[in-house]
Amino acid sequence: MTGDKLIEVKNLKKYYNKGSLHALDDVSVNINKGDVMVVIGPSGSGKSTLLRSLNLLEVPTEGSIWFHGVDITKKKYKDETGAVVKVNIDTHREKMGMVFQHFNLFPHKTILDNMILAPMKVKKMSKQDATEKAMSLLKRVGLEDRADAYPIQLSGGQKQRIAIVRALMMDPEVMLFDEPTSALDPEMVGEVLEVMKELATEGMTMVVVTHEMGFAREVGNRVVFMADGKILEEAAPEKLFDHPCHPRLQDFLSKVL
Amino acid sequence: MLSIEGFQKTLKYWTMFEEGLVCTVMLSLFTVLFGFILAMIIALMRMSKSHILKGVSSVYVEVFRATPLMVQLFIVYHVLLADIDLPTFKMFGFIRFERFIPGVIALSLNSAAYLSEIIRSGIQSIDLGQTEASRSLGMSQWQTMQHVVLPQAIKNILPAIANEFVTIIKESSICWTIGVQEIMSAVNSVKAATFTIAEALIIAACVYFCLTFPTSKIIAYFERRMSRGDRR
Ligand SMILES: Nc1ncnc2c1ncn2[C@@H]1O[C@H](COP(=O)(O)OP(=O)(O)OP(=O)(O)O)[C@@H](O)[C@H]1O
Ligand SMILES: [Mg+2]
Repeated sequence: MTGDKLIEVKNLKKYYNKGSLHALDDVSVNINKGDVMVVIGPSGSGKSTLLRSLNLLEVPTEGSIWFHGVDITKKKYKDETGAVVKVNIDTHREKMGMVFQHFNLFPHKTILDNMILAPMKVKKMSKQDATEKAMSLLKRVGLEDRADAYPIQLSGGQKQRIAIVRALMMDPEVMLFDEPTSALDPEMVGEVLEVMKELATEGMTMVVVTHEMGFAREVGNRVVFMADGKILEEAAPEKLFDHPCHPRLQDFLSKVL
Repeated sequence: MLSIEGFQKTLKYWTMFEEGLVCTVMLSLFTVLFGFILAMIIALMRMSKSHILKGVSSVYVEVFRATPLMVQLFIVYHVLLADIDLPTFKMFGFIRFERFIPGVIALSLNSAAYLSEIIRSGIQSIDLGQTEASRSLGMSQWQTMQHVVLPQAIKNILPAIANEFVTIIKESSICWTIGVQEIMSAVNSVKAATFTIAEALIIAACVYFCLTFPTSKIIAYFERRMSRGDRR
């Protein structure tokens, strides 16, 4: 199921407050094609910071992130011929979809316009093609009748499903989820997890920060436990949940399970 | 003192007030237009990462807010444009272009300082998550500003911009001092012709009121309608 290395994080550090707060403290991890990597850990452990570093919404203090053989934390790199090429972060972000806890739909645009904006502006897709694509994605998540609605008219679960398909419009190679169900009413969590599960089944590479341990166990193929800005344990879900090694993880699981 | 005869005498010059009214409206419209464009540039400069752009725009805003409009107007007219021959023709047959333009420039420069702060606060009031969502879709900083942040920010600050428009209408009265034939200059002409000023001033006040009061009422109406749209 999993294959080549897609993202390689090497010795990533992120300091806040002039270095007194280590949000990420020497994190190294590889994300392979087809991976569904679930990141768990207590609040403040650096889960969001790690995820947001992957598409440089946070700029790391130190370390490197390799994506398609390019260190995207650097401004320039040398290509195969030795020529110096500028790293264009926008083209990398295009390939990394991101879903936020608070949806972040554009409130002044309809659902359809939310979805077709970036494909038209970034990929220069025609409005017709983008609309067709958007409608078929909306159909997939059962929201094709809400294309002309505004975000404010939707429920939380609907908004998050839209946020997911909006990201899918760019045909990303990896999807990053930062607690996608934490802001939802309990009865809406299922519908969002269902969409994510389907994505995983189709082979999408995903990095998911979540407190949904059921999802982690069922859908994830790797689970990473973070605390104090470090990855303390990483294993397949069965192993990590049933035979946790690190005392911090044992303590954490006893509280959440 | 005020008298019926005084008003009758003054109203013989009503066309001057009419022309003054048109001139005041034109001054204000051009000022918000140019002022807004300039304000947008200054606001973006102030929020940019470059220390130079930030510095220049901050100094601009502070200087224009800390000096009197009259001084700014005189500097534009008597110093900056003193040696420049502006084309001399009359807009609508009565607005002298070479006086009108310095007035518009000074008012625009002045109101841009205030408008830029309004725009900046509007942009900064938009949730950072909007920018992050847009950037994560691969949109550039400028595309994000243009399609995501600005449309929302401008909608939020429209009432404040409209209030600035009312302020501009009132402050444009100062332009009579450089010979722009707006409403206050009509007062002055009547005074020269009839040796009375009280009635002309009352009429001028009425004309200004008739201009600004409905404007702010219309603004309030649209403000209410727009906030209703938010609730849907
Ligand atoms: N912009 C910032 N400025 C200062 N400190 C920050 C900033 N962002 C995050 N931090 C700090 O970095 C640490 C890690 O934060 P992060 O948001 O990554 O944690 P998290 O694991 O996602 O927690 P949660 O489960 O609460 O979302 C925390 O101590 C947080 O306070
Ligand atoms: Mg978080």
